[in-house]
Amino acid sequence: MEASSSQPQPSDSNQTASSFLANLPSRGLFTSAAFSPNQGGMRVYICEHDTSPPEDQLIKTNQQNILIRSLTLKKQKGDPSSKDVKGATVADRKRTAERILETRTPAKRANCQTSSQQEGSNSRAAERDFHSLTVERLRALLKEKGLSPKGKKACIGNYLNSVLLFLFFCQAYPVLFVNGPR
Amino acid sequence: MSIWNYVVTAHKPTNVTHSCVGNFTSPQELNLIIAKCTRIEIHLLTPQGLQPMLDVPIYGRIATLELFRPHGEAQDFLFIATERYKFCVLQWDAESSELITRAMGDVSDRIGRPTDNGQIGIIDPDCRLIGLHLYDGLFKVIPFDNKGQLKEAFNIRLEELQVLDIKFLYGCAKPTIVVLYQDNKDARHVKTYEVALKDKDFVEGPWSQNNLDNGADLLIPVPPPLCGVLIIGEETIVYCSANAFKAIPIRPSITKAYGRVDADGSRYLLGDHAGLLHLLVITHEKEKVTGLKIELLGETSIASTISYLDNAVVYIGSSYGDSQLIKLNLQPDAKGSYVEVLERYVNLGPIVDFCVVDLERQGQGQVVTCSGAYKDGSLRIVRNGIGINEQASVELQGIKGMWSLRSSTDDPFDTFLVVSFISETRILAMNLEDELEETEIEGFCSQTQTLFCHDAIYNQLVQVTSGSVRLVSSTSRELRNEWKSPPGYSVNVATANASQVLLATGGGHLVYLEIGDGILTEVKHAQLEYEISCLDINPIGENPSYSQIAAVGMWTDISVRIFSLPDLNLITKEHLGGEIIPRSVLLCAFEGISYLLCALGDGHLLNFLLNMKTGELTDRKKVSLGTQPITLRTFSSKNTTHVFAASDRPTVIYSSNKKLLYSNVNLKEVSHMCPFNSAAFPDSLAIAKEGELTIGTIDDIQKLHIRSIPLGEHPRRICHQEQSRTFAICSLKNQSCAEESEMHFVRLLDDQTFEFISTYPLDTFEYGCSILSCSFSDDSNVYYCVGTAYVLPEENEPTKGRILVFIVEDGKLQLIAEKETKGAVYSLNAFNGKLLAAINQKIQLYKWMLRDDGTRELQSECGHHGHILALYVQTRGDFIVVGDLMKSISLLIYKHEEGAIEERARDYNANWMSAVEILDDDIYLGAENNFNLFTVRKNSEGATDEERGRLEVVGEYHLGEFVNRFRHGSLVMRLPDSDVGQIPTVIFGTVNGVIGVIASLPHEQYLFLEKLQTNLRKVIKGVGGLNHEQWRSFNNEKKTVDAKNFLDGDLIESFLDLSRTRMDEISKTMNVSVEELCKRVEELTRLH
Repeated sequence: MEASSSQPQPSDSNQTASSFLANLPSRGLFTSAAFSPNQGGMRVYICEHDTSPPEDQLIKTNQQNILIRSLTLKKQKGDPSSKDVKGATVADRKRTAERILETRTPAKRANCQTSSQQEGSNSRAAERDFHSLTVERLRALLKEKGLSPKGKKACIGNYLNSVLLFLFFCQAYPVLFVNGPR
Repeated sequence: MSIWNYVVTAHKPTNVTHSCVGNFTSPQELNLIIAKCTRIEIHLLTPQGLQPMLDVPIYGRIATLELFRPHGEAQDFLFIATERYKFCVLQWDAESSELITRAMGDVSDRIGRPTDNGQIGIIDPDCRLIGLHLYDGLFKVIPFDNKGQLKEAFNIRLEELQVLDIKFLYGCAKPTIVVLYQDNKDARHVKTYEVALKDKDFVEGPWSQNNLDNGADLLIPVPPPLCGVLIIGEETIVYCSANAFKAIPIRPSITKAYGRVDADGSRYLLGDHAGLLHLLVITHEKEKVTGLKIELLGETSIASTISYLDNAVVYIGSSYGDSQLIKLNLQPDAKGSYVEVLERYVNLGPIVDFCVVDLERQGQGQVVTCSGAYKDGSLRIVRNGIGINEQASVELQGIKGMWSLRSSTDDPFDTFLVVSFISETRILAMNLEDELEETEIEGFCSQTQTLFCHDAIYNQLVQVTSGSVRLVSSTSRELRNEWKSPPGYSVNVATANASQVLLATGGGHLVYLEIGDGILTEVKHAQLEYEISCLDINPIGENPSYSQIAAVGMWTDISVRIFSLPDLNLITKEHLGGEIIPRSVLLCAFEGISYLLCALGDGHLLNFLLNMKTGELTDRKKVSLGTQPITLRTFSSKNTTHVFAASDRPTVIYSSNKKLLYSNVNLKEVSHMCPFNSAAFPDSLAIAKEGELTIGTIDDIQKLHIRSIPLGEHPRRICHQEQSRTFAICSLKNQSCAEESEMHFVRLLDDQTFEFISTYPLDTFEYGCSILSCSFSDDSNVYYCVGTAYVLPEENEPTKGRILVFIVEDGKLQLIAEKETKGAVYSLNAFNGKLLAAINQKIQLYKWMLRDDGTRELQSECGHHGHILALYVQTRGDFIVVGDLMKSISLLIYKHEEGAIEERARDYNANWMSAVEILDDDIYLGAENNFNLFTVRKNSEGATDEERGRLEVVGEYHLGEFVNRFRHGSLVMRLPDSDVGQIPTVIFGTVNGVIGVIASLPHEQYLFLEKLQTNLRKVIKGVGGLNHEQWRSFNNEKKTVDAKNFLDGDLIESFLDLSRTRMDEISKTMNVSVEELCKRVEELTRLH
């Protein structure tokens, strides 16, 4: 096409416009010499047939809150991939929490530690609250929640944080968490 | 008027908002699809041009229109989203010629702030999802599955709140959007996001670009192989992609529309706010973009949409002027323009103001609109019915019949005009000077009345008088043969065609003759039981000079009969019912369908479908055309046959979409008509009116006629002054130089030629806001009053304005008086011989005072405060109805004794008004900015002051149009003695160029039509599954309620377009005959 291979333009600007207008696409329409732009009248459409869409094509919007949805999605994503090596940082915190709740075995604690290091600054703020608590107090809290009161403070703090968040959603949206911690 | 109102469109929307091109109706056919707010039009591109296919009403205001091709489909689907958050996907079914709903849904959210910059609807080029931006901060995704079916929609949070444009990028592995937005420091940026369908979230996209042109407003995605996006600003155009950034400066302009030329996206057409068309070229080497070039091509209407069609032909859709079909020429014309306009499509929008006048003083209203905007501003004269443009006329009394004759069988033009009187026949012919003069045909009998005349084969003419049938040579003009009626019997009625004559004598004798070369043969004779009232043998079969059937109308038993020719056997007999005899019958064919028309003595017309083979008459319909006997005649115009019904209300009957339509002619009373196609007056008609014979040409056969007066500036207010036969307009002209300089004028126009005859320029920053023609008490002069406002850039609301009083003297505007006001004069009304002005939040009454020195001045008398902005004022007697900017309608009263204006009542709803009108003493009509109409009623009988002070909302309706003006009046000629003539109407004009009519119906008729509307809703479905009831429900930010006390005339009148079986269905449920339903609906169509 002329336009695509255009060289530095000639001085005459008319020339340029003409050259740019060359080779306009044509599929053979509007070519007749007997060009008559207006041909007859237009039929007004009267729709007598049923116009409702096929049953599954009546589209509605997912009414779930965007935040809840993203959390849910992350949970679903987390479940099958629990054995995988973590890639995305955002999902880690929750996944970790879930995993610990599921297994409650000390073997997994290593995981817990590694992931806690990857935590974003977000959770760190909440974490700090737990740092202020004594280990005794944390253990008591865990007992209250019916969880294993073992583990180091750093890990527990993070662990509890996630648990509380998780519990909050269990209460708010129990349906989503049929297989809750208990 | 009443609270039971019927709303109908007289002129459909013409504002083109969207257009797109694709293979919609078939994989091989290329279509142009145009959206005109509430309608879409489908056109077919052919080698010969643009062929209109279908005009589809949509139950919604179209917000986005896109064609797309889902995977595995051979043709495109149409995606439409409406402003009230509905969407549908349509597919064309070529077999049934129907629009099939593939999907539809509601995309509204319960929470969310509607976007300020309009709704955005886009489709991923790889058809993975539909994206919608309807609420600030939310991006809605409707994903496709791999079979092209739509799945449940979901929202994604979009960080950018002030979004200007969103487009999908081409050639991305994951669907990627590019967002143009403005931050809270008013800087503009673009950003890309990938849509992660699985996560239902955005992922940061491949690139972004900060700090663009401050006027950047439009994104153009570039297709492969280049990909990337063009960002169109007011001073620069930028090409942006992950690895390239090219920019060029442009002459400052606001780009309103673009159209892609090449499939590879290397050339684009850009249309700007001044109507200039540019070509933007992306220069590239292979897939690497090397730069941008822009070239000015020429001027078009101000484009709202541009679609490149084919072979250098481009469709320019416009909101502010006529839409156009243009051709891009390789070489510039003399003015340096590459643009050649092939066709203009009339657009009345935006109708800012209009007035109803009777310029020709024929008792028929015409609407003169202020249409268009900026440079495309114009006045449009809209007239209903078909006009006859008089070419010549002679005074002739007592014409009883007219026929035109040719001097030889193969002469293309008519030579003679035979005019018959009660006791003589005169023959007129065109002489060499193209004048009509009396001549003679020797063979004709001129001492008696002619009953019928016709050209006959073998260069002959035939004349039927009461005593004989004469066959005359058209070359020698001598009598060649004569058939004499039997003694004692005279011929009463007769008809003929080129080879046959059928006549009836007293006593019910029917005689059939055939014409030979110099001989008339009586072929058949039949005796009927009653007298014959009318006959016709117009050949509509295969042979154009010989008819196989004859139509006969009878006295006494009031019937029409079809006889076979030549044997005069009775085939069909149809009793007409009633006591009115048929006065004229006509066999005719329109669009390949044969009809029998039968006109009665009381102005009614019956039409039947005629089966040419069996002679069967079906689908009887009855309409009322006038009150006097009708004479039917065919004529042709532009190679199409139409029927002229001469009566007290002359009507042209024509066919469109295989439906008979009736359009009145702008003449008062016509007794006879015959086509007279002479060399001097081609395609003309000879028309016998009272005491006059007129030769005239006929307009194009269509219902509304629109004459355009381009002004080159933007008219905003108009008013007519009968006494000086002038119009005055307030207009504004944008200076062509780059600065934003506007000039405002008051201009005087002649009401016949529409030429500017005088101009009064307003001051700098002074806008003309209102105009009125009025007179004052104690002063016989008629004045033009103009209200203005000084719109200063630093003020939020004008604080100063003027009222100017002009008189028209010698065709000039003379300023007689001026009065400064403390704000904008939004409205002026004549009120009790004084002048009532609406000035900002105040209503102010002025007296017209005579000063000691004999000059006049306006003197303030009293006023009323308490509005936000009193924008629209109407008065009736002492009552004043005010439409407020945001406080709906209030009713004020002027108290003469106290000389004060007080509030009587108000509507407490918070409607933002766009127009008001007084329907009658108690009922007021309003239009508001959410496209609704409503009526309120004064409650005079209320028990408490509180009740009396409240205007009760009695009617609500969603019109879907932004009304700028209501005016009392009618587009059609009113006959005092017809039913329809009694129905009062209000005309409205809208932004989309709609002219509509609101008619107040009697309660009984309203109930009947309401029932019909309910039944029609069941039969006529909304395209795309959209619901009529929902569409017409009153809707604003606060509430949605069902329409009440308004009927949708467009739906009701589409009854006439229904198939017969559907009509029968409705007739059955309504328990009213189809004939009666048709007649009642047909009557309504004559309101507009």
